Amino acid sequence: MRQRIGLLGLGFMTPALIMVVVFFLIPVVMTGFFAFTNMGTATGVSGGEYLLTPKIIKHFEAGDQFDKTTINALSSTSYSVSDAALAKAEKAGLKKKYLQEIGKRLNGKTYAKRRDFIRDLKKLKSRPRNQRALIKSTESFSQSIINKRFETLEGFKIALQNTGVDLQPVQTDRVIEASYTGWVWTTENFTTMFNKPDTWFVAANTVIYVILVLAFNIGFGLFLALTTFYLPSGQSAFFRAVWLLPRISPPVLYVLLWKWLTWDTGFVSTILGWFGMAPYNFMLGSVESAWMVVVLINGFVGASLGMILFSSAIQAIPSSILYASEVDGANRWQQVRYIILPQLRWPILFTTSYTTLSLLTSFEYILLSTEGGPGGSTNVWSLEAYYTALNNYSGNLQYGYGAAMALVLVTIGVTVSLLYLRLFKFDDLVSRPRIES
Amino acid sequence: MRILLDKFTKKFDDVTVINDMDLEIHDGELMALLGPSGCGKSTTLFSICGIYQCSGGRILFGDRDVSQVTSQDRNVGVVFQNYALYPHMSIYDNIAFPLMVKKMDAAQIKREVHAIAELVHISNLLDRKPAQLSGGQQQRVALSRALVRKPDVLLLDEPLANLDAKLRLEMRSEIRRIQQETGITAILVTHDQVEAMSMCDRIALMDQGKVLQVTTPNDMYHNPQSDFVASFLGNPPIAFLDGQVESGVFAPNNSAIRMALPSSISTQAEGTKLRLGVRPEYVGSAKGSAVTGKVSFIETQGRENLYDITLDNGAVLRSIQGVRHDIAIGQQVQWNIETENVLVFSENGNRIQ
Repeated sequence: MRQRIGLLGLGFMTPALIMVVVFFLIPVVMTGFFAFTNMGTATGVSGGEYLLTPKIIKHFEAGDQFDKTTINALSSTSYSVSDAALAKAEKAGLKKKYLQEIGKRLNGKTYAKRRDFIRDLKKLKSRPRNQRALIKSTESFSQSIINKRFETLEGFKIALQNTGVDLQPVQTDRVIEASYTGWVWTTENFTTMFNKPDTWFVAANTVIYVILVLAFNIGFGLFLALTTFYLPSGQSAFFRAVWLLPRISPPVLYVLLWKWLTWDTGFVSTILGWFGMAPYNFMLGSVESAWMVVVLINGFVGASLGMILFSSAIQAIPSSILYASEVDGANRWQQVRYIILPQLRWPILFTTSYTTLSLLTSFEYILLSTEGGPGGSTNVWSLEAYYTALNNYSGNLQYGYGAAMALVLVTIGVTVSLLYLRLFKFDDLVSRPRIES
Repeated sequence: MRILLDKFTKKFDDVTVINDMDLEIHDGELMALLGPSGCGKSTTLFSICGIYQCSGGRILFGDRDVSQVTSQDRNVGVVFQNYALYPHMSIYDNIAFPLMVKKMDAAQIKREVHAIAELVHISNLLDRKPAQLSGGQQQRVALSRALVRKPDVLLLDEPLANLDAKLRLEMRSEIRRIQQETGITAILVTHDQVEAMSMCDRIALMDQGKVLQVTTPNDMYHNPQSDFVASFLGNPPIAFLDGQVESGVFAPNNSAIRMALPSSISTQAEGTKLRLGVRPEYVGSAKGSAVTGKVSFIETQGRENLYDITLDNGAVLRSIQGVRHDIAIGQQVQWNIETENVLVFSENGNRIQ
């Protein structure tokens, strides 16, 4: 019986569990996984090929693992006539008669320079008369591995040997590693992140953003809740509805309104223009005004959440306690300070932690308004991660690096929530009734 | 301090709850506002402490008209039905709160709080939080908080309603003791006539926003001015017989029973419709007019039993007597009514004396 009930419960929970796994657990695990790779547009997300490019050779020249002769040998191209090369040429579509002649006259020969090979080819009767076709016909006999794609590691190794360049095992590994175009496991994302000055700038921005918006949200939410509490009920309902508008209007529309308000041809500039002030773009005009706009845009949206939570918490205070404080001689301010605020501890904690976490990860209003500008001055961590991994101007999307940034954010989020739980003695708050009547 | 309500009126929007009420509470007196739910007694209390604004008339503390004064400036102490202690403050802070908001200096607050805690017997509880106290202890804290600022008047809104029976008895005498020791003028709102009678100097009995009678508990019990007052006081309650005067004696409607009227009242004309109030303690005694009826209910109360007797016209009289084993339900009995102690009311409920 017990067993059956257990299975039934599991059955009911299955849809929820599947949702959690698919939409929460898997993304988190994948982020952790991507963070330790160098995946990106260049590598793709599946496997890769082996391709030694002149650019890589240049890198080798800059380093000290390879001497000059080895590098020259690696980058040079030799031509040799062999059965394998002839078969390859046939596949490439060269005339049979021409190939037979090459096989008979030149088999086994190796040329260090294409010029020499072509000179010998010109002696053949069946050669293509067209100079360009003649040059093209040499390609199948080329032994160089520069700019050639190899699907497998084996193929690349053989080609490397066929060049005849004498490489030490360490050097071979280095060439293989450098030529691989697919993604590899690496911790480079994190070392790069911590060494880049930009990272610290964005981190500082994020801290400023979270603190300012949080303070605005809580402070303004509290202000609205308290003022509407002391208004007659009809008026307070109206004001609360007004302050809910930013929350319920579509973000794109809401930010568009802010743009109309703050642009140099917008509402504020127009009004100020009547008093002789030059038009000014508040959203992108200066770092300070950009920050102000970003904080206000996010703050007015967030304040409504605090307002609702604080309002309902104030309403939940038994009216006799408020009456008692009045007959005890407390004025409005003392009533707020000593009676109402202490009883709002729990909703304030909740809103603070919830808002901190959502602000850490939210960037949509910044993306829609300043796009992190002017000049990256309002760029925050999550927005930077988004740009890095998913959308940027150069088109070189670095999934791995972006995931590493996201992983840092997740770690900070978890740490901060644990800290909040500690700081506000969460256990105390939930285990005991908050309001005694 | 003397409290005077002068033509006091309270309206909520268009609904008049109290109309032209006059009431004087003497200095140092404990006055009960007694009445059924919705009679306006709590409204009166909240208007006296200023939580409700007065719609008309005057409220005087001594000679000072406080009708338009906010509750913060009235200097009243209130004990609410649910005590309304501040849950996040310690008991000490709760009691100190009225002094703290007056910005009294800390040393003096400490002195005052400890003095009042001593008086109310809660000195050992000062460090606790309200949630850690029993109902009776919370009640004492609420009293201390109301008294600590030395108010002109102490207002108690159903202070015993949330206590169990035993604590209620204890707190009844405690509140009376503290009120008498401090000599404060106090108003107690209650719907419980036992509370009102046992604790208070005088009772103001209210119904539908009007004061029906103001007098001492004893006088109110024995000399009610109307049948409503008579019915509200007394446990078990008084029983009424409707009837008329026939041949100089009282004849209940549709009944063969005849009862003498008390000799104290003036002679009533033949055919006058009357209402007789008979308290249970005056039924079943040695002398008086005999009535016959059937025992229809017996309620055991321990020391005494309460018997319901249904008369021949269906009216029910109550009798309280020592426990008797010779009476059973359904039995026909003939018991005496002490007719000299019967209360006589006119047809519209007014007392005839």
